[in-house]
Amino acid sequence: MSESNELEALSATLGAKVAESRPLDTSVLNKDNESIKLVSVEQWIENVNELSKLGVGVIVKPSDDVKLLKGTLNDVALIALDFNNFDDGRGYSQAYLLSKRWKYAEEIIGINAHLDQLQFMLRSGVTSYKLLESYEGFDEHDYTNGFSICYQAAANNSGLKEKF
Amino acid sequence: MYQYSPEDSKFLVERVDQFEKQLKRHLDGDLDAAKFRSLRLRNGLYMELHAHMLRVAIPYGTLNTTQLRALADVADKYDRGFGHFTTRQNIQYNWIELSEIANLLRELSSVGLHAIQTSGKATRNITADPLSGLTEGEIADARPYCELIRRWFNLHPEFSWLPGKFKIAVNGAKLDETALRVHDLGLRLVRNNEGELGFTVYVGGGLGAAAMVAAETASFVPVEDILSYLESAMRIYNLKGRRDHLKKLRIKFLVRELGAGEYSRLVDEDWKQTRDDPELKLNLTHLSELEKDFALPIKPLVLDDFEDKVDFNYSIWKKNNVRAHKISGHSIVNVSLTKLGAAPGDATSEQMRILADLADQYGYSELRTTKRQTIVFPHVRKDQVFDLWQSLEKYGLASPHQGTLAQIVACPGGDYCDLAKAVSIPIATRVQQRFDDMDKLLDIGDLNINISGCENSCAHHHVADIGLLGMQKNGEEYYQITVAGETLYKTVIGKKLGPSVSGDNVVDAVEDIVNVYLDNREEEEKFTEVFKRIGIKPFKEKVYE
Repeated sequence: MSESNELEALSATLGAKVAESRPLDTSVLNKDNESIKLVSVEQWIENVNELSKLGVGVIVKPSDDVKLLKGTLNDVALIALDFNNFDDGRGYSQAYLLSKRWKYAEEIIGINAHLDQLQFMLRSGVTSYKLLESYEGFDEHDYTNGFSICYQAAANNSGLKEKF
Repeated sequence: MYQYSPEDSKFLVERVDQFEKQLKRHLDGDLDAAKFRSLRLRNGLYMELHAHMLRVAIPYGTLNTTQLRALADVADKYDRGFGHFTTRQNIQYNWIELSEIANLLRELSSVGLHAIQTSGKATRNITADPLSGLTEGEIADARPYCELIRRWFNLHPEFSWLPGKFKIAVNGAKLDETALRVHDLGLRLVRNNEGELGFTVYVGGGLGAAAMVAAETASFVPVEDILSYLESAMRIYNLKGRRDHLKKLRIKFLVRELGAGEYSRLVDEDWKQTRDDPELKLNLTHLSELEKDFALPIKPLVLDDFEDKVDFNYSIWKKNNVRAHKISGHSIVNVSLTKLGAAPGDATSEQMRILADLADQYGYSELRTTKRQTIVFPHVRKDQVFDLWQSLEKYGLASPHQGTLAQIVACPGGDYCDLAKAVSIPIATRVQQRFDDMDKLLDIGDLNINISGCENSCAHHHVADIGLLGMQKNGEEYYQITVAGETLYKTVIGKKLGPSVSGDNVVDAVEDIVNVYLDNREEEEKFTEVFKRIGIKPFKEKVYE
């Protein structure tokens, strides 16, 4: 399906609701560099039968109740967690629940990510990330892997076991 | 005494390296002030009224003498020759230059000290009973558990960006010297009917503008399950805690709004799914190895012919500052740093070095810090207490007023802190001057006066016999008075006495309250006991007559 057809199909499915709130051209590049359209949690829940056939992803805001996705997770092509608000830590628990508890197997991408929080995101269960533009040019390694030990078990299986 | 392993020390250095890079990005204009604030607070660094303030953790309040000397060196090299021991087992420096912070932190890391998570919206330094391991009837030494919990929540991936700060205290003793139930989360070590060790958990306590006593959310969590329980307690807070209202960020507001029953139900529902996860089970073999590191450095002593010295000043000091140790032949000695006109808890670098030298000589090189901002020598041979007292007295550290009303707990207040609404230390000084008669002080006995300069309640005024809270009224400093708060036997938030009192009149009001207590006291009754018997009315009448 071409991008314009894809958009059309989505628009038809979601109807006017989309125009009211979130723009439908929200999309993200997945780890294979393919553009994946994103719908909101509400849009997904209300139109799950139609959307699950279209290979769309779901964008989860910090205020969203991620538990609403639990029953239909297998049909979601990708989940994008929004980390734009630096001090709002709900995304880390959302990542944990999706990844560790509900074993969501597809990509969990952290969008609007901050350099200084990469290690926290990855260890909570986020599998890929897209930094905000302002962080371009900095060495990500310092912030993804800056410590020789981590003191707790984590969703991505990193961490020190023998101290506990 | 427990020491950090080489890998722990390496981690501390890596953390400093990372913070140094973040600081550079901030100074280069690549990291904005709001984000840098969030990051610097997680490294203990505040921007205060006059300079940067650094809060360094003293985990579970235990220090060795090498560490105390390093703290003294930092005071000389990077501050103005003193540090401030806080009510939550930290030490603060008030005059730190931003450009020197990384070097300072590297020096501290070489002795196993750090400022990680001493501020910010994450798990703060975990406090323990300062007499952990020392008193009869204790269920277990709280410190190994504090250390395990500290490690687990150190840069925890999921819980480092909570709605608000998260303070945990652990107590294993009969009396509560930690004020467990005014913490975000308090853990009391208990044994169940089968004799197994576990924790009673209290969540949602706090002081501040809305003081609350924490609710019991679990009567018994087995020790091996404590990490999974804490994670569930924090997960519910992280997902549901208020983030929309600056004054409602703490977990106490969530617990109040949901109701303790509903909050506990949500935690239990979450916990059911993780408590059997082997990754979250405490390994009891590792725990017992860690407990060995915290074992007391002394053995029982038989002192057959020992008779303590007879000296009037020594006897007075001893009555208020020396306690029984569970290991025979030893005592616990409390040292107050309180001096007229200085912030309670302030210690000069010289005093720190003196205390370190004396602890090497008499105290097995170990010291503890308390919520009353005093320093404890945890183990002193009974036949050396007099010698220690003589040395302390020589250096002005054993005045007999210690352990009396004159040993006031106060925050730095309006003289130093930019959050303060009123001064604290000058009020403390005036109270001390009013009660300068030693006979009267001894007659009054142990009565706590705590003074906070603002609603943040750093001096814990809500849980003192007499609490003063600084505020502003029409541009003038006023003090709200609370009475009969307590935490030692049970937790009670002090009652407001009435309208706030002006700075000019507040010392008179304190004296009135003390006099009502003395006039009504029967035998050895404590202040709170008299208050329970006679009620608030006589105090109110006297102060507002």
